[in-house]
Amino acid sequence: MINLLKVLYKKEVMDASRDKRSIMAGLYYAIGAPIGMCLLMSVLLQQLASPEALNINIENSERAPGLIAHLNSQDIFASHDENERKAITLTISEDYQQKMSEGRPATVTLIADKSDDKLRKHITQVEKAIALYSSEIASLRLVSRGVDPSLMRAIALEVHDQATPDSKGGMILGIVVLTLILALFYAAMNLAIDTSAGERERNSLSLLLSHPLHSLHIVLAKIGAITTFSMLGLVVILVVSKFSYAMVPWQQMGFSITITPEFMLFSIAICLPIALMSASLQVFVSFMAKSFKEAQSYVTMVLFIPMALSMITTYDIATDKVQWLPIAAQQFALMEFIKGNPIPVPQLLLSTVITLVLFAAFSFLSARMLKSEKVVFGL
Amino acid sequence: MKSTINRCKSMINIAMMPVLLAASTALYAQKKPNNSPNLTPCYMEGLSDRLMCGSIAQPLSDDPNDGVIDIHFAVIPAIKPSNPDEAVLGFAGGPGQGAIDLAAIFNRNLRFARETRDIVLVDQRGTGYSHQLQCDSDDLKTQFVFNDVIADLQAMGAEDTQKCKAKLNIDLSHFTTPVAAKDFEAVRKALGYKGFHLFGVSYGTRIAQEYMRQFPESVLTSTLDGVVPMQQSLAAIGGAIDGSLAALFKRCEADTLCAEHYPNLENNFHALLAQLEQQPVKTQVRHPRTHDVIAFTITKMKFYSAIRFALYSQAQRAIVPMVIEKALSGDFSPLAGMMANVDLTEALAMGMHNAIVCGEDWPNLTPQTRQEYGKTYMGKAMIAGFDIACPILNVQAVDKAFYQPLKTSTPTLLLSGGRDPATPASWAELAMVEMTNATHLVAPTATHGVGSQTCAPKIIAKFIAQQSMQDIDTDCLEEPNDKPFFMNINGVAVANKQLTDTANKE
Repeated sequence: MINLLKVLYKKEVMDASRDKRSIMAGLYYAIGAPIGMCLLMSVLLQQLASPEALNINIENSERAPGLIAHLNSQDIFASHDENERKAITLTISEDYQQKMSEGRPATVTLIADKSDDKLRKHITQVEKAIALYSSEIASLRLVSRGVDPSLMRAIALEVHDQATPDSKGGMILGIVVLTLILALFYAAMNLAIDTSAGERERNSLSLLLSHPLHSLHIVLAKIGAITTFSMLGLVVILVVSKFSYAMVPWQQMGFSITITPEFMLFSIAICLPIALMSASLQVFVSFMAKSFKEAQSYVTMVLFIPMALSMITTYDIATDKVQWLPIAAQQFALMEFIKGNPIPVPQLLLSTVITLVLFAAFSFLSARMLKSEKVVFGL
Repeated sequence: MKSTINRCKSMINIAMMPVLLAASTALYAQKKPNNSPNLTPCYMEGLSDRLMCGSIAQPLSDDPNDGVIDIHFAVIPAIKPSNPDEAVLGFAGGPGQGAIDLAAIFNRNLRFARETRDIVLVDQRGTGYSHQLQCDSDDLKTQFVFNDVIADLQAMGAEDTQKCKAKLNIDLSHFTTPVAAKDFEAVRKALGYKGFHLFGVSYGTRIAQEYMRQFPESVLTSTLDGVVPMQQSLAAIGGAIDGSLAALFKRCEADTLCAEHYPNLENNFHALLAQLEQQPVKTQVRHPRTHDVIAFTITKMKFYSAIRFALYSQAQRAIVPMVIEKALSGDFSPLAGMMANVDLTEALAMGMHNAIVCGEDWPNLTPQTRQEYGKTYMGKAMIAGFDIACPILNVQAVDKAFYQPLKTSTPTLLLSGGRDPATPASWAELAMVEMTNATHLVAPTATHGVGSQTCAPKIIAKFIAQQSMQDIDTDCLEEPNDKPFFMNINGVAVANKQLTDTANKE
């Protein structure tokens, strides 16, 4: 029986590898996704690393030379050119100097649209700079009265952050792992449809079934071939990720992303059950469809479910219960591994078992479907 | 006349302290295992990032019977360790500050360098967690009331030095710079780094230069911020203080508003000093923290010292004219406020401090230099302090070769602040006479420790990364970073006459 499966598997792999262009199309994602993301992040980081001076509109700046000098030292400048300045206006109140010399709060008005996402960062920058100036003047006022300004700090909150530079990546780490899991589904999607719905359309499926073979063997061989190509996609994306992520200057944002050989082996082990499940699911959906085109639509739609599970974890909106579900749990385990944290073993084990059960169920159902003439001939 | 080690004259101690890194610190580390190069996670005040702390046992002296002391160190891990074989080694100032306690400050000043390299901080022997040599010091209340004019300082100083010596009960000759340099090399070997990029501040530049001299192979680059030349005694600091103060007076004179509000400031200041020298003022102030009414004796030394320490900080410099004017009119609370935070005897390990100055800065004083340094008020006081404490402490003088300028071809960056009240730019020029690959940058308005001011952190990181100063844009150091003077007790701005009148009606 094993021999039989081997022959069938060989046939499927050979069939698939004849169409090199289609295989490459599947692998483009594995190569392109990490590189594309790294290019995007590099551009973004470059912008963050060399922040331009912030030009804003300051009205009546002559009333507060000290504040203006302080803002300049924080890279905030007054500009008269409306085109080069941001839509932030600071107005120094008329009684600024009077209030200041009387020791009353001197009013400075900040006019800006806080719903403007692009502006929000700059508004915060201005607010922080002014708060710093305010506390500096306040401290000196206290010193001038013979009072220790540290009295203003009733509590010194000391934060002991247990994160490491490798674990601070947060969202970006989630996206990195998401691209890995998506590779499992996308790398062999064409192949899955071609080997099932495609084979039926080419009428070679009935030929295959006319041999004295159990339909489960045929299905398992197909799934095996698809899994091989998804895992190939995973290996490719891991290798590409290892080199491309190392080239992005993450350290400028205070964290690092390192794909270690240990992580690569761990992901291959964790992702194999997912690849099996994904292959069996895609075969099942393709057989359910009446035609090749229909299969393409259904498979794309069905893939939304694993994607959603993965994204829930990436964007950290998963409830504790969702963390036990397949894919979500595996993704979480991969993220914890890359951060150097302990792996949630019970969740990982349960979800792996569920993943394998789903694989068995989809394989069994596909095999049963192949016994029906309706399915075999697409009636 | 006065003493360096002094139990009940902490304020006077402060006057003696040659150099320092302006920063207040407190112990906050977790317990670290002894005699083990094992690294354990630890946290330091003001820094939320997790550090790795450890210690190694080092022989106290060449004589094995003297036993060992633990040298403690902390590693601030690189964000992305692209250069795992290299680290930046930070040296603290003082002498007497512990480097580990200053982790937050080193982390801030070396934040760009840390992106790709670890930062290693070692508590020099006698400081911080490495067999700290601390003498007792007074609380603020005692300091405020103490009159350093009527007291027999010579006798008191000698007595306190004796007490401190008895308390420490260790030969201070084992705590000089040349001995300590070997500990840093041992830490490098224990941690397995191939080379260090040195970053020394203030006195830290002296130990950095000594480390370069003893272990040239271990040094990749060296950044010296606020440079102490090997050839010169720290007692020369008096001139730097006067120079920094003169720059402040000059700036006020050049500023129309300041000149108008505080006319004749420099002369007034010297007149007040003369007055205080003749007759110290006895008054009462509120305790800066408890608000109790406490006795306050203002002597020339206390007043001058308070102003001296204000010169280190750009913010405090802004209120110096106002503090002087208030004192002239008999209001000493601003002075009390300025003195409240100067608790340096706590921050500096005085035993180690004295080991350094008595072993290195006292023996090389000649009649000529004594006369020259003695021309300044603080220089004279400092030498007098050395003369009382050092014969008692009996620290073995360092070798004559120690005072040779450092000969090196290692890439070296020297940084000076144009208004530095401790290590002026001329000191750096003196230090670099035998350096063949050195660049000296002066930030015109900066005070002591340029590394924490202006854009210096970026320049330092670039210098470390490319191991040369070639093509690094240093123009940003020229940008002024001083702060406008306080024109009244409330701030920088001044209202026009009419408005002030309405304010007066309150």
